[in-house]
Amino acid sequence: MPELLTVCPSPHIKHPATTTTVMRDVLISLTPALLWACYVFGSRAITVTALCAISCVFFEWLTQKLLHRPITVADLSAAVTGMLLGFNLPSTAPWWMCVAGSAFAIVLVKQMFGGIGKNFMNPALAARVFLFSWPTQISAFPAPFHRLPFWQLTVKEADAIASATPLAQMRGGEMDAVSPADLFFGRVGGCIGEISALLLLIGGVYLLVRRVITWHIPVAYLGTVALLSCLAVPAGMETAEYVLMQLCSGGLMLGAIFMATDYVTSPITSRGRLLFGAGCGVLTVLIRRFGGYVEGVSFSILIMNSLVWYIERITRPRVFGGDR
Amino acid sequence: MKYTFRGGAHVKEHKHTAACPIEPLRDVGQVAIPMSQHIGIHCTPTVAVGDYVYRGQMIGDVANGLGCPVHSSVSGKVLAIEKRQNVMGTVIEHVIIENDGQGTLAPEIVPRTKGLSETSNEELIEIIRRAGISGMGGATFPTYAKIQSALGKVDRVIINCAECEPYITVNHRLMLEEPMSILGGTQILLKIFGVMKARIAVEDNKMDAVRVLRRARDASRRIRIKIMKTKYPQGDERQLIYALTKKEIPAGKLPADVGCVIFNAETCAAIYHAFVDNMPLIDRLVTVDGDCIRTPKNLRVPIGTSYTDLIAACGGLKKVPDRVINGGPMMGFAQWSLDTPVTKGTAAVLVLSKDKVQKQTLPSACIRCGTCVKNCPMHLMPNYLAAFARTKQYAEAEKLNVLSCVECGTCSYRCPGQVEIVQYIRVAKGAIRAEQAAARARASAAAPDLGNGGKK
Repeated sequence: MPELLTVCPSPHIKHPATTTTVMRDVLISLTPALLWACYVFGSRAITVTALCAISCVFFEWLTQKLLHRPITVADLSAAVTGMLLGFNLPSTAPWWMCVAGSAFAIVLVKQMFGGIGKNFMNPALAARVFLFSWPTQISAFPAPFHRLPFWQLTVKEADAIASATPLAQMRGGEMDAVSPADLFFGRVGGCIGEISALLLLIGGVYLLVRRVITWHIPVAYLGTVALLSCLAVPAGMETAEYVLMQLCSGGLMLGAIFMATDYVTSPITSRGRLLFGAGCGVLTVLIRRFGGYVEGVSFSILIMNSLVWYIERITRPRVFGGDR
Repeated sequence: MKYTFRGGAHVKEHKHTAACPIEPLRDVGQVAIPMSQHIGIHCTPTVAVGDYVYRGQMIGDVANGLGCPVHSSVSGKVLAIEKRQNVMGTVIEHVIIENDGQGTLAPEIVPRTKGLSETSNEELIEIIRRAGISGMGGATFPTYAKIQSALGKVDRVIINCAECEPYITVNHRLMLEEPMSILGGTQILLKIFGVMKARIAVEDNKMDAVRVLRRARDASRRIRIKIMKTKYPQGDERQLIYALTKKEIPAGKLPADVGCVIFNAETCAAIYHAFVDNMPLIDRLVTVDGDCIRTPKNLRVPIGTSYTDLIAACGGLKKVPDRVINGGPMMGFAQWSLDTPVTKGTAAVLVLSKDKVQKQTLPSACIRCGTCVKNCPMHLMPNYLAAFARTKQYAEAEKLNVLSCVECGTCSYRCPGQVEIVQYIRVAKGAIRAEQAAARARASAAAPDLGNGGKK
């Protein structure tokens, strides 16, 4: 017979999904893109990503320790932030950049606002924008298949063969520099995690199947970009080709599937998610076309992050039995 | 086509006892019958210590007001009338009766000779009241009162056989083994309400029961069996009515306001037995299950039987229990003692070990995943409600319709951040209701002065 029975309010059972399993699924879904980066940029892609992930976990632990908060690094959310930050850096990123970016993401953007669930900006993206303070280092994109070994903590200038990303080439009018197939499969230069649209889509499908994310944000985001790109096809280009190149280049796939869908910094209502995704799409197209910087995904998502509260307010579901 | 609603979650079913036939349990030493097993006024005992009572004899009644009588479920001697805690923790009077094992029925319980068509509605409602029938799905609202309040307002009767709570299979077994009692009860309800339409709603995980009912019903097509998608909380009357009729019950209103009246399957069978056999509600079906129970079973037990006797009838415990639940795991009440008696609202007794109950692996934190919003069958924003409740901003919670919450617990069940969402919501609802009651009390206290109030 029992010593004591637990008396507490219902429900008494719990679905097995927890924050930890959700974050683990995100880590799994990012792995194919990381392996591909390893193939294209060399094993240093793993060094950068792992350094970011480990730094993020460390800073989360340290802040919580110093602030006497419960230690929650086991929820893997810091590891996800770190992995996403790594994905947003070039494979040539020096080690101190990884550490500084991680510290910014976790300490300033996440923990200072109260930790998991309380930050209003996507920590990885905010850290990336913070790292734009070192423009040379953050845009030293090596040419594809110029592989760097994992033990190289700092990259000598001779190794960092700066190559223009496909978006920059397109901006510069070199439309034939890359083929849409290269972009789709990821045989191009760029940040570690953004190059292969195919593998990112596979990761996205995994997250959809595991019900970690819903379709609303990626579909609204990519759909808006595709639609608006149709309106601005440069002369001498097939519409379909141009749209495909817009969708697969830069950080759009990574952003639409993994960054804009970040729970904490996106709306919780379905209609709000559609609105949020569409807003990101409009801003991305505008920045890409009129902005001073060739890439617009990070800024678009961060701007939309700051509007989430208002989006949620105007997209509240109608309560069952309430007025229509 | 399967009928369903938006929101809710598919909860792991655990219907282990679906193939366990109903077994009668008669061999109980004593029963403790609470004097209130319904919503309303408590009964006053009509027997004294030392009296001999028959099985089915009335032992407690409500003189006037909302409430229905209570009957002895065994024959034997009244050992004591004492205050004990009921399943909700309220101290109420219990009549303790020693079972003589004879099961001698009260002399007035003889099958009725008068047919349904010769019986008036007033007589039928009185039969249902005297039989002590209250909602057996768990809410335990007196059935006669529900019928009276819905008379003349409804165009269809719905029999709720959804049984969406995990583990519980008593309605499933009742449909398989005694379909005629459900159908018969439905006929009586059709007669009372004078309507042509009755719908028996069954979830699609009980298709064998659907076939049995379809074979057993008459050819008049007044009673139809509707197949519902298996999803929690399909058995909630709001969701069930919406799924069947696409009508939403407005906040604070009743099924009758959208032309429906809804009864639990076992309540319906109890109405049938009350009419045909003159039998009051003294037994009920209970699923005894959970990973600690050696042989899970469906039992027909006298009301007042202690959980200890139920567990003994199921081969005892095989694991150290952590939680004993009266009802299903989603909305049932955890008990602190195995002396708790079975009441009219006890559809299941679940004994779960630490492995099966929810555990906290990390400090709870909302990660704003939106799962609670997506799954809320009332289309609320549970995470906001919980956050407002946590910070005691009850007015904000009220603006977000916290009072519409039906407390089904889907949000807490699904929350990956392990936030006790529905628990917080209950706190907010309780506080708001208390405030409303206090405001009403102030208003009525101030009312006599109103005449002079303006002249000061």
